[in-house]
Amino acid sequence: MVNLRLNGVDVQVEEGQTLLEAARFYGIPIPTLCYHEGLSPYGACRLCVVEIGSDPQKSRLVTSCTYPVEEGLEVRTHSTRVIKARKMLVELLVAACPSSKTIQDLASQLGVTKVRFKPRNDDCILCGLCTRMCEEQMAAKAIGFVNRGVERKITTPFDIKSDVCRTCGACIYICPACQLRCQGPEPPTTLCSGCLNLSYPCLDLYEDAQCYMDPCAACLLKEAEEKKQKREVKTENENKEF
Amino acid sequence: MTNLSIKKLRNFEDLENLQKDLKQLRARKKRHCITICQGTACCSARSEEVTKAFVHEIEKRKLKDKAEIKTTGCHGFCEQGPIVVIQPEGLFYTKVKPEDVDEVISETILKNRIIERLLYTDPTTGKKITYEKDVPFYKKQHRIIFENNGLIDPTLIEDYIAIGGYSALAKVLRELSRVEIIDMIKTSGLRGRGGAGFPTGYKWDFCRRAKGDKKYVICNADEGDPGAYMDRSLLEGNPHSILEGILIGAYAIGANEGIIYVRNEYPLAVKNVTIALEQARECGLLGKNILGSGFDFDIRIARGAGAFVCGEETALIASIEGKKGEPRQRPPFPAIKGLWGKPTNINNVETWANVPLIITKGADWYSSIGTEKSKGTKIFSLVGKINNTGLVEVPMGMSLGEIIFDIGGGIPQGKRFKAVQTGGPSGGCIPKDLLNLPVDYEKLAEAGSIMGSGGMVILDEDTCMVDVAKYFLNFLQDESCGKCLSCREGIRRMLEIVTDITEGRGKIGDLELLEELAQAVKDTSQCGLGQTASNPVLSTLRYFLSEYETHIKQRKCPAGVCRELFISPCQNACPAGMNVPGYVSLIGEGRFQEALELALDTNPFPSICGRVCDHPCMSKCRRNQIDEPVAIRMLKRFIGDYEHENLILPPGRVPKEKLPHKVGIVGAGPAGLSCAYFLARLGYQPTVFEALPVAGGMLAIAIPENRLPKRVVQREIERIEAMGVEINLYTQVGKDVKLLELFDEGYQAFYVAVGMYGDRRMGIPGEELRGVVQGVDFLRDVNLKRRVKMGKRIVVVGGGNTAIDAARTALRLGAEEVTILYRRTRQEMPAFEEEIEQALQEGVRLEFLVAPTKIIERGNRVNGVEVVRMRLGEFDSSGRRRPIPQPDQTYRMEVDTVIPAIGEFADIRELFTGLEVETNKDGTIKTDKWGMTSILGVFSGGDVATGPATVIRAVAAGERGAVAIDQYLRPDRTRVYPWRVTKHVDTYYDLEAEPVPYGQAQGPTLSVDARKDNFKEVDLGYTAQMAMKEAKRCLRCDLEVDLEKFHQWEKSLKAIEEVATW
Repeated sequence: MVNLRLNGVDVQVEEGQTLLEAARFYGIPIPTLCYHEGLSPYGACRLCVVEIGSDPQKSRLVTSCTYPVEEGLEVRTHSTRVIKARKMLVELLVAACPSSKTIQDLASQLGVTKVRFKPRNDDCILCGLCTRMCEEQMAAKAIGFVNRGVERKITTPFDIKSDVCRTCGACIYICPACQLRCQGPEPPTTLCSGCLNLSYPCLDLYEDAQCYMDPCAACLLKEAEEKKQKREVKTENENKEF
Repeated sequence: MTNLSIKKLRNFEDLENLQKDLKQLRARKKRHCITICQGTACCSARSEEVTKAFVHEIEKRKLKDKAEIKTTGCHGFCEQGPIVVIQPEGLFYTKVKPEDVDEVISETILKNRIIERLLYTDPTTGKKITYEKDVPFYKKQHRIIFENNGLIDPTLIEDYIAIGGYSALAKVLRELSRVEIIDMIKTSGLRGRGGAGFPTGYKWDFCRRAKGDKKYVICNADEGDPGAYMDRSLLEGNPHSILEGILIGAYAIGANEGIIYVRNEYPLAVKNVTIALEQARECGLLGKNILGSGFDFDIRIARGAGAFVCGEETALIASIEGKKGEPRQRPPFPAIKGLWGKPTNINNVETWANVPLIITKGADWYSSIGTEKSKGTKIFSLVGKINNTGLVEVPMGMSLGEIIFDIGGGIPQGKRFKAVQTGGPSGGCIPKDLLNLPVDYEKLAEAGSIMGSGGMVILDEDTCMVDVAKYFLNFLQDESCGKCLSCREGIRRMLEIVTDITEGRGKIGDLELLEELAQAVKDTSQCGLGQTASNPVLSTLRYFLSEYETHIKQRKCPAGVCRELFISPCQNACPAGMNVPGYVSLIGEGRFQEALELALDTNPFPSICGRVCDHPCMSKCRRNQIDEPVAIRMLKRFIGDYEHENLILPPGRVPKEKLPHKVGIVGAGPAGLSCAYFLARLGYQPTVFEALPVAGGMLAIAIPENRLPKRVVQREIERIEAMGVEINLYTQVGKDVKLLELFDEGYQAFYVAVGMYGDRRMGIPGEELRGVVQGVDFLRDVNLKRRVKMGKRIVVVGGGNTAIDAARTALRLGAEEVTILYRRTRQEMPAFEEEIEQALQEGVRLEFLVAPTKIIERGNRVNGVEVVRMRLGEFDSSGRRRPIPQPDQTYRMEVDTVIPAIGEFADIRELFTGLEVETNKDGTIKTDKWGMTSILGVFSGGDVATGPATVIRAVAAGERGAVAIDQYLRPDRTRVYPWRVTKHVDTYYDLEAEPVPYGQAQGPTLSVDARKDNFKEVDLGYTAQMAMKEAKRCLRCDLEVDLEKFHQWEKSLKAIEEVATW
C-alpha cells in the first residue's frame, strides 16, 4: 500500500494505481474527457490535471489519469491553479467544438461563463479514445493519429479505405464529441444556456475548494456574495475619482 | 590531405606512442600550413572552391614541400568567412575568394608578405589586425572547447590524436573507476548544455545505479532552435571530441551501445561523424576490447526526420524506436526507463564535448571557470542584427553587454540595440536595461528567459516585439506534436490573438486573455515544448508592454514591421504621419504644387522641417538597403522653398463656417502654431499668446540663422496667420495676461506649448562667474540681435544640437578656438550627424569622454576650466555604458567663456499663477492620455509636456492637441479628421522596372571659407532637376498596400479610442 496526502487527507492506495483512480476511489470527482476505464490512459485532454508537490514554489500540474501513485506524494485536486487551468481548457474546447453536449456540460460544471475565442466547428477534439478503442478493445488497429500540431487528425493509413476495419461502430460509440449533440450553443457566447451553471464560490476565500460536491453545494455562497459586492462598490468608487 | 593508414591501437602504450610520433612529425615540418575553414557557413560562401583553387595552385607550382593544405571545421567568426589562417604564424585572412588564391600563394607563401586587403579591419579603431590571436572577436572569448576547430582536419583522426586526443579515454579506462569518473563530473559542476541545465554528474549517477541488463547512451544532436548552430559546428569540426566524451560517459554508466541522433538537415555533420566513427573503429577506439581494457562499445548514427519536437528526450527515444515523435510523461525518466525500456543517458553534443576536458585538466580547473552555480564555458551563436555574426565561447558569468558589444561588435549601421532573444522558442527577450546581466542559468531564468541551447538573436530598433512573439508562436504551432489540448489549441489561439494585434484588430482585454492563456498552456502541457511555449509571449509582454498597447490602442507599429498598419516605413516613422511616398512621387513627376499641398496637409512647416528635421523617415527608408536613403528632407525643403519663389500661397484650407468656440494657445513655437493650424482647418479661429517679440519659439531663437534663416520661419508663420490665426507678441501669459482672466473673457480651452527654455545647471563651482552663459540664452540673444558678450577661447559643454549650434555660432562671431566637451563617445552624441560633420568642417574641436569639474576664476571672470577624463563602465538602464570619472586623470584648459548646453528644463511657475497644475518629477506638465492637464480645459503638448524633443514631434503634438480640443468642445467619436486619412496619389510607377541605379544626390553647400564670419545658410538646397531625379529613387513601398482597404480601415479608426470622461 502506498501512502498519499490527498487534499490534505492522509490516505492509503494500492500500488500501481493512478492518481485519478485513487481520487475517484475516495469520492473526489475529477473531470475527464479522454479517459475511459476500459482503455489505457492517454493524457491528451489535460482536464484531469492535479497539483502535486509539497513545496508551493516547485509544485507542478500533472494528468492524474497517467500519473502513478508515489509514496509521500502531496496531491491537490481542486487548487486555484488547477481550477483556473481547467476552466481555460474548457474554454478552448468549447471554442473548438461547441456542438458537443459533453463539452457544454463540462463548461456549465466548471463555471465557464464566457468564451473569448473565435468559434470553429470541429468534429474531433483529438482525444484518441477512438484509436485506443479500435486497438485495445476491438483489436483492429484500423485508425490512428496522423500529422503533427494543428494538422493532426485521425484517419486510416494513407487515408485509404481500411482492410481491417470491421465497421463495428465502436469508435463512434466512444466519441465524446459525437455522443451527445448540443442544439443550444448561442452566438456570441458560444455557450449553451440550457444547462445549470454553478462555480466554486469558496475559491474567493480559500486556496482550495472546500468540498468536492458536484455541482458545488454553495455552503458559503452568501458570505462570498457579500464580499464580492463590497469589492464591486470599491472599484466603482475608484473609477469615479477621475 | 592524405589519409595515413593507422594500425590498430591495441593498448594504452600504442596510443601514447602514436601521439608522440605524430607530435614529432608535426614539429619537424618546416612548411606553412594553410588552414581553410570548411564549416557549412564558409562552404556556402564558396570556401570549397577556395580549397580547390589552393590545391590546384600548389600542384601546378610544385610547392608541396613549401605549403600544406588543411581543411578545418568552423572557426567561429562566420561573418568574415571564408576564413584562411596561415600557420604557424596565425596570419588571419578573411573573406578569401577563389580569385585571391593566386596572390596568397605568390605573396604570402613564397615571399612571406602580408596582403593588407585580406586582413580583418577592426570597425571601432579602423586598424587592420594581422594575427588571429589579436582579433578582438576572439580575444575576449575563452575557447577551451572550440579552439581546436581551426587546427584539425575533422576527417583525419591523426590530427585529433596529435593534439592529445583520446588521452582522457585512456586515463579513464586505465586509472579511474566508474564512481570516480562520475564524482569528477559532479565536482566539476558541469550542467547539461541542451537547455535545461540539469547537473550532468547526477544524471549519469542515476543511470549508473539503475537496474537493467543493457544500457544506452545517446547524443542529442537534434539542434532545432532557429539560429543555433553550435552543435553543428562541433560535430562538423571536431567529431572525435564528442566521441571521446560519449565513450567516457558510456564507460562510467555501464553502457555498451551509443547512438548519435542527428537532425536530418545536417548532411556535413553526418558525413564527418560517419568518417570519424569509421576511423575510430579502424584504430580500435570503438568496438570490442577498446585499447585492451576489456570495454566494448560502439556508436551508430540515427537521423531525424524534420521534427523540432524530437529534440525532447522522450520524443527522441520514441523516434529512434520507430514510433511517432511524441513525448511521454516523466517519471519514469529515461535514466531509469529509456530506449527500449532500458536505462538510457541522453546528453547534448556540447555537454559531451566538455567531458574529455574535465577528465584531462581536472574538475577543480573546470569549476574555477564560471559562476557559483554555472561552471565552465558556453558556446553561443551570436546572430541577428549584430556586426560580428558567429559562434562565441565565453565563460559563464560574462555580461550580455560584453558579449554583444565587445565581442559582437555592436549593431550594424549604427542602429540602437533593443533586445536579445536567448534560448530559442523556449526562451525570452532581454531588454537593453539588463545588459549587465551575467550569462548563467539562474540569472537568465530570473529575467524571464532561459539559457537554452545557446542561441542569441540580437534585435534592434527596427524589430517589432509583437512580431517576434508572432514568429515564435508560429514556429511552435508548426512543431508541436499536437497531443496535448493545451499546447496544440493554446498556441494556436495565442497566435490568433497576436496576429490580430499585428493586423490592427487588437481589442481591450486581449492582453489579459493572452496572459491567462499563456499561464494555462505553461501549467498543463506535458513536455518542455508546451511548457515553455508561452515564454516568448510572456517575456515580451513583461518588457515591451507599451509596444503591444500601441498596436492595440493606436493601431500603430512603432518599429515599422506590421505591414497592415502603415502604407510605408517612412510614413510610419514620421511622428506627423506625412504621406512621404505621395509627395515624393509627385515631385518626381514635376507636380510641385500638388506635392506641396499634400505635404501641407499634415505639416504646416515643410520648409522648416526640410532644414532641421531629424528625419526618422530616412532612417527607415528601404532604399537604404540598396545604397542610401531617399533624401526626403531635402525634397521637402525643395517644395517648401519652391512655393515661395514660384507660386502663390495655396489657399489655406479653412472651412467657410467658422466655429464660435474661443481657443487660446500659449506659445508660438512649433507645437503651438501647429495646433493653431489644425484648429483653423476645422473652422476655429484661435488666438496665440507669445511672450517674445517674435513668433516661432525655438525655430526663431534657438536654431541659428545658418541652419534656418529667419525669413523662412516668418514665411511659414504668415501662411498660418492667413488662415485666421491671431498671434499676439510681447504677451506673456501669467504676467501680461492671466489664464483665469482669459477664461472669464470666454475662452473655453487652452493649449499650453511654451517649450523648455531653462538651461540645466552643470552643478560645478564657478557657474555663476562672468563669462558663463547658458546655451539657449546665448543662441536666443544672438538670434534676437541683442548684444552678446563672448571671449576668444570658448568651451561648450554638451552633445546635443544646442551645443553644436552654440559652437558654430561662436565661431562665426569671431571666437578663436571653440571646443565641445562631451562626457560620452561620438556614437552616442544625440546631435544630428550632419551637424556634427559640418561643425568639424568649420573647425570646431570635439573632445569625448571628458567633463568639466570646476570653472577657474580670475578677477570674478572665467579664466580656465578643469576637466576630468572618463572611462566607460557598466551598462546603465539606457543600454549605454556609463561614463565613470577617473579622478587621477584631470587637466586644465585655458578658456574665457563657458557655454553649458547639457539639457533644458521647463519653467512654468509664472504661467499658471492662480491655478494649481500638476507636474511630473522632471518639471514637465502632467497630462492625461488625451493631453489635458490637471486643469479642466487646459491641454498641453510639445517639449513642456514630454521633455525636449524635435520639431516634427512638436508638429505632431500640436495636431493631437487640436483633435483633443475639438473632441472636448464638440465631442463626436465618429468624426473623421480629413488629414488623418491617407490620400490616394495618382502618380505612375513601373513595377517591373529596376530601381534607378544612382545614389543620393548631394545638395550643394556653402564652402567652408564662405561660411566664416557670417550666418549665411550653409545648405543651398536642390534645384528642380536634382529634386525630380532624386525623387525617382523612391521604391514606392506604399504600392504594396491595397489603398482602398487601407482607407476604409483608417476611416474606421476613431479619433479617440476610449471615451474621454471630461
